[in-house]
Amino acid sequence: MFERAKIARDRKNPENRTDLWMAHRLLVRRVWTLSVQDIRRLPSSAAAISTSSFSTSLQSPPSRVSLLSPSRTLPRTLHQISRRDVSFNVQDTEDFTERVVNSQLPVLVDFHAQWCGPCKILGPRLEKAVAKQKGRVAMAKVDIDEHTDLAIEYGVSAVPTVIAMRGGDVVDHFVGIKDDDELDSFVSKVIGQ
Amino acid sequence: MAALCRGSHRWKKINSFHVLKRNLTGKHDYDLVVIGGGSGGLACSKEAAQLGQKVAVLDYVDPSAKGTKWGLGGTCVNVGCIPKKLMHQAALLGTAVKDAQRYGWQISGTVSHDWATMAEAVQNYVKSLNWGHRVQLQDKKVTYLNLKGTLVDKHTIRGLSKAGKETILTAKNIVLATGGRPKYPSNVPGAMEHGITSDDIFWLKKSPGKTLVVGASYVALECAGFLTGIGLDTTVMVRTIALRGFDQQMAGLVTDHLESYGTRFEWKSVPTRVEKLSSGALKVTWTNTQTGCEHSDTFDSLLWAVGRAPETKALGLDKLGVQISKETGKIIVGPDESSSLPNIYAFGDIGEGRPELTPTAIKAGRLLAHRLAGRSSELMNYDNVATTVFTPLEYGCVGLSEEEAEKRHGKDGIEVYHAFYKPLEFTVAQRDSSQCYIKVICERAGHQKILGLHFLGPNAGEVLQGFSLALQCGATYRQLMQTVGIHPTSAEELVKINITKRSGLDPTVTGC
Repeated sequence: MFERAKIARDRKNPENRTDLWMAHRLLVRRVWTLSVQDIRRLPSSAAAISTSSFSTSLQSPPSRVSLLSPSRTLPRTLHQISRRDVSFNVQDTEDFTERVVNSQLPVLVDFHAQWCGPCKILGPRLEKAVAKQKGRVAMAKVDIDEHTDLAIEYGVSAVPTVIAMRGGDVVDHFVGIKDDDELDSFVSKVIGQ
Repeated sequence: MAALCRGSHRWKKINSFHVLKRNLTGKHDYDLVVIGGGSGGLACSKEAAQLGQKVAVLDYVDPSAKGTKWGLGGTCVNVGCIPKKLMHQAALLGTAVKDAQRYGWQISGTVSHDWATMAEAVQNYVKSLNWGHRVQLQDKKVTYLNLKGTLVDKHTIRGLSKAGKETILTAKNIVLATGGRPKYPSNVPGAMEHGITSDDIFWLKKSPGKTLVVGASYVALECAGFLTGIGLDTTVMVRTIALRGFDQQMAGLVTDHLESYGTRFEWKSVPTRVEKLSSGALKVTWTNTQTGCEHSDTFDSLLWAVGRAPETKALGLDKLGVQISKETGKIIVGPDESSSLPNIYAFGDIGEGRPELTPTAIKAGRLLAHRLAGRSSELMNYDNVATTVFTPLEYGCVGLSEEEAEKRHGKDGIEVYHAFYKPLEFTVAQRDSSQCYIKVICERAGHQKILGLHFLGPNAGEVLQGFSLALQCGATYRQLMQTVGIHPTSAEELVKINITKRSGLDPTVTGC
């Protein structure tokens, strides 16, 4: 909440309104997802899994698989991380809620469009920066023409727009191209290093 | 979700009850609903929302006969002005590359054009505009609905989604701005199955190849122009005259230039049938109406540019008694864009007697929004609207054609100044400037008020915009002569013009 308000204060007026409106939408989404989580409440011990490494899992592998399907927020194995595996394409609003809003990991959301030239440059660069973090951050890709409502909901006007979400809150964002160093520092900040 | 699906018929009954209740209590869902998300519709809805009205805009694109469809923004953005001008630019650049060599540029090998590269770039830009419009509607707080709108009664609209789902909306005022779509000929077998229109040409992924353009409207000539310019074998088939409604002397010069540019013309001809050959090519048979002879040829593509029809059939107008013109199918409107029903308005391409142009639709839409919000009573001024035909040699004009000026003032009541000039850029490039021509039509008496300006030459649109302001201010020939030209430009020839048609003297400009 504090971080959302901070972002709102830091911006000039027009963006302020967008950010506050975005914050409101997120709050609505949060409330909804929390109630969904209540329905799907997992055994309390399972909550530790997604934030710890594989070696310290508290449940046996079969149950872990039943809670999180392989293609979800965690990479398959730490050894197999490649740029391809690093990001996933959001399929629909429910998918976004499950894999981004409800993700235990911080998630970078890359809003892009097929017709956007700079997006084609930023996408791989962002994946490279995310891959460097070896599973500490996930990356979702949203095609704004396929998921217009979602893009509008998050106040995307120009592309590429990247938003960083942690625990369902937008903690940072940027619009346009960034170079490798800027992306590395952005990603580190999101993870909290 | 399941509950909603099962109770859909119940939902409809509840919905119509709400509509009835709303109508009785006088409360509508919206202050204004605009049907049509093109140049006019978007401008009107955004302006109305800015003035504090609760506005919704319905936009829906029926796919073309070939299945082409596009996003928000209307004809201009998707299948008109924007892609047209970009492809026109592509063609001009081809000519520029040829000129460049005379200016010293060393270009090795042959220069060829790749349709796919151009088309992708143009299509990507158009898609970015679709998104931009979507964001603008969101920012201006206009509700956007991707539904096909029909009038149920004078305050109720039924919107149909692609999936067939119905939505009912009520509005205090309704504005119709659904525009038009290209016509297919009704009497040519094979026309629709094998031919394309301007709805399709800009969205082709592969080059249209050897193309026959049927028609001589500005759409036909502009398309034929850029197709020729990018190196395609292009033929234009004209039934009677070119650029109907435009100054015919200028129209003749435009087609003369196109012919010298490399476009083939089949004059006074009408296609009689279109067949697809086993090779995939199209065999077109036509009759020359002057000689009566039949001819045929094969083409890769056939582009119909034989006129546009207004999108009024699906609006349900006849049921409500909204008057439409029997001849054109367009909605009969008053000077304030009102229809025969008090709270229903129509403007843009569907308005009878209105110019089919984006800037007039935008301006009319904004003024209408102001009037509906009770903020002003200013009406749209449709006079002296400047336009440009973006053929390879551009033709810009504002005001009256010579024919119209003669009709209104009599041949003796007007003075026509004219000049053939040569753009400086053409000299080194060794380009032919035979059709570079200017005509200024004035009243003959007094200070000689300018009635019409016609300019054929490069960048005609850019040249003419400033002069349209002059006409708006009631400029006279006297004032034109008092204006000093910018040198060296082609535009300066407009303020230097002095040879009259009446004098019979040679109007070719010589030297500085």
